[in-house]
Amino acid sequence: MSYEVMVGNKAAATACKLARVQVASAFPITPQTTITQYLSEMHANAEWDFDFVNVEGELTSQVVVQGASRVGARTFTCTSGPGLLYMHHPMQTTGSGRLPVIMAVVHRSYKGMQPDHSDLMSQEWTGWSHWYVEHAQEILDTLLMAYKVAEDPRIRIPIAVGYDGYVLSYTAEPVEIPDQDLVDEWLPPPKAIPEILPDKVDPSTFGRGWGGGDPQMAWKIHHDVILKIEEVHKEVMDSFEKTFGRRYGNAMIETYKMEDAEVAIMAMGTIAGTCKAAVDRMQANGKKVGLIKLRSYIPFPNKDLLEWGKKLDGIAVVDRSICPGKGGPSFQKLRDTLFDLKDKERPKMLQFHAGLGGKEVRVRDFEMIGDKILKVAKGGKVENLVTWV
Amino acid sequence: MIEIRLHGRGGQGAVTASRILATAAYEEGQYSQAIPMYGTERRGAPLTAFVRLDNQRVRERMLVHNPDISIVLDPLIAKQQAVVDDLKEGGLVLLNTAESPEEVKLGGDFKVATVDATTIALETLGRPITNTAILGAFVKVTGAMKLESIEKAIKKYFPGRLGDMNIAAVRRSYEEVKGPIQAVVKSGSQEKIDINVGGYGVLKDVSSWRVFTPEIDVDKCIGCKNCWIFCPETAIQWDETKKKPYIEYRKCKGCGVCDNECPVKAIEMVRVEV
Amino acid sequence: MSERITRVQIPMEEMGITPGSACQGCGAALAARLAFKALGPNVIRHGIPCCPDTVTATPQVGGVFEGGGALLTGTSRGLKAIGREDVLAVGFFGDGGTYDIGFQGLSAAAERNEDILVITKDNEAYMNTGNQRSSSTPKYAITSTNPVGPNSRGKGQPKKNIPFIFAAHYVPYVATTSVAFPEDLIAKVNYAKGIKGFRIIIIQSPCPVGWRFEPEKTIEIARAGVQSGIWPLYEIMDGKDFKLNYKPKELKPITEYLKPQARFRHMTEAEIAEVQEDTTSKWQNVLKADEMGRVVI
Repeated sequence: MSYEVMVGNKAAATACKLARVQVASAFPITPQTTITQYLSEMHANAEWDFDFVNVEGELTSQVVVQGASRVGARTFTCTSGPGLLYMHHPMQTTGSGRLPVIMAVVHRSYKGMQPDHSDLMSQEWTGWSHWYVEHAQEILDTLLMAYKVAEDPRIRIPIAVGYDGYVLSYTAEPVEIPDQDLVDEWLPPPKAIPEILPDKVDPSTFGRGWGGGDPQMAWKIHHDVILKIEEVHKEVMDSFEKTFGRRYGNAMIETYKMEDAEVAIMAMGTIAGTCKAAVDRMQANGKKVGLIKLRSYIPFPNKDLLEWGKKLDGIAVVDRSICPGKGGPSFQKLRDTLFDLKDKERPKMLQFHAGLGGKEVRVRDFEMIGDKILKVAKGGKVENLVTWV
Repeated sequence: MIEIRLHGRGGQGAVTASRILATAAYEEGQYSQAIPMYGTERRGAPLTAFVRLDNQRVRERMLVHNPDISIVLDPLIAKQQAVVDDLKEGGLVLLNTAESPEEVKLGGDFKVATVDATTIALETLGRPITNTAILGAFVKVTGAMKLESIEKAIKKYFPGRLGDMNIAAVRRSYEEVKGPIQAVVKSGSQEKIDINVGGYGVLKDVSSWRVFTPEIDVDKCIGCKNCWIFCPETAIQWDETKKKPYIEYRKCKGCGVCDNECPVKAIEMVRVEV
Repeated sequence: MSERITRVQIPMEEMGITPGSACQGCGAALAARLAFKALGPNVIRHGIPCCPDTVTATPQVGGVFEGGGALLTGTSRGLKAIGREDVLAVGFFGDGGTYDIGFQGLSAAAERNEDILVITKDNEAYMNTGNQRSSSTPKYAITSTNPVGPNSRGKGQPKKNIPFIFAAHYVPYVATTSVAFPEDLIAKVNYAKGIKGFRIIIIQSPCPVGWRFEPEKTIEIARAGVQSGIWPLYEIMDGKDFKLNYKPKELKPITEYLKPQARFRHMTEAEIAEVQEDTTSKWQNVLKADEMGRVVI
């Protein structure tokens, strides 16, 4: 095993190499751009047998990987912000087509160039699984796990792995690189399901979808399959730890110093890392605040959060995005998840918006958040349900 | 509320007929809803449209599943038992056909009225488009609205001389409709041809699309294979041993390309028996 | 360039599964039948939104309207990655998906010289959604979005010259064909099948409903289009070598093509003369190119 001090984008490119991606396609957009350059260099240097397709736009890149995935090749694409919005249309075809495409979303606000989660959050309806990661090592490890989950015959759903632009994509950290042989053994070659080659295709359907019947069923099946990802993702996390020696919580969430916590802060992405530092400080001062890092947004960790909800007096939800006119996505989803708890079991919940438009989120911001949720959890009046940090 | 189902062919104005009915109803203070059956309506393919009439705004937004009245604009489709499927007991079917109500073979518990709207349309409009012609008959046998309302509605859709010609068609069918009488046949025939033949993909049998049918005189055939190569549906197959064409009729839509392209007029398009 | 064939050399085997749901006399249904007859089974057929034509006994992949070029690219690169370059990625698209909403992606695929075959059934409008104008619609044609009235004489702009636009990407093969000339069509598909790189074949596919003529005249009208010079049959190799495949001594007058179609019925004598002049002039261009054996781009 080796390591390299590398930026987040290089970790993504390295994961492609380890996973032996066969067809990658992308269009450059800040702050994802260097992934396209790393892949182009790796391709030019024949570092492994793969094809990198330089395309004229993000929409095309999504359709290219869709097509290649359909015939059975392992694929990768990546984008940010407006690029993701541009490929919204064919994203739903990848989802509905049950194609195991893996996409890195290097977060960029769709209002500006700096990071927030509006890009991936606004794609909730495209029928993909959405994961969020905190640091460069987690990028590399999670992309590998994503292939194993997506290609599982029980699943066959594309997965978007989001990580923050600039602060993570362009920031260097030491990253351990697993052995290629170990990865090859752990991640078997992909295959097309169903077969589409002329000599292998099912002659009664020729790979065509079938019409007729209840038009609602396609949606129900899609929904149920994504919910099933929780089970497979947890299995893959266990298997990853066994093979490579690292794990991230139970796959759906990663908890930090929650053993004696009375309240929790829930956050996603790089700011969850900053929150860990704040938790250390707060607990040193006797404040029983822990972190629940949300890793899987779709499917949402309903079971885990119900269990935690029962134990906690308060949860401060930090959303690095807002749906204009509607509200913060993970706050609303958490309230929905905990709605059926009995009144005295249900924790107090507060919404925080931090980091939108790339605004810097600091340790002291989380200390402020911790104080607020503690106050309310102990019976204090809720001054503001929503706070813009 | 009255629920009506119309049967016609793509391109023959069944949808316009439903709109005219709905407009005429509104002229009399009646509310309505005119629904085409969405799908891809292909030229020549049989299709269905629906109308609801009521004295208040129609709330239900779904297809008509059990019509009170079935109106059939096409004389070939008028022969199909399917046009009386799911008709309410004691309902009414109005057919565009030269047959009298007593001669109609559709069976069940409903009343039958007939009018030769095709001939009327040919004589008043010069074209066999029966969508307006049949509405006069409709008004006469149902009394659902006044003839003047239909004529007003027609003027909205067909201005000037075209409107006058259509009104002439309407008045004639009002006078010439026969019936209604209780259906002579008590229960329907078993054999059914699919008259909702549309949508995308492969179909089983498009015979109901044909108004004309190709007939090949193999003795005249010189073996040029024009008919075979130009048939869009591969309904014309080629017998390699005899070096002659033959037709798989379930695939034939009666487009007439084979007749048009045969250099020796070995193929003739013959009107389908009405 | 393609090798000429005769009627007896047209394969008997059908790849179409019929009857389909196309209109009576559909030119595109015949275009699909002929093209896939030549292509055979070892293809993956790609479709994007368009009219139904003829369903074929081939694996089928669908994609978004604007993604035809991208989808073919993905399949082609994927086939290479899994070691199955023997299978041909072929797209069967309408003029909307080729000339308009699909143009960007196809132009990019052509520029990258992707190893794909694009076949376009050109019925000169967005027919599936009810005959709206496309950039392939000829000048003066009536469509539902270019009706005739005090403000409009039908489509006001000329038809986009797609074959030459793709030739200007210097791709291995660009060809025009017509359903009325099946031997020429099949010969060109045969040629395209045997070479690599970006290939595009446009098939003139008259539409009885949209062009407004009786379905029995589909072939007659296609033929009139070719014989009057408004739809020349030619091939361009590598954006350089040019061959005109059908060269009558004299062109038929354009009225033979325009008159039977009610989408042109409103045209005045002056407008018809304009179209005749334009057709004759463009015909001179292709004659010249044929004489030189090359195009100047």
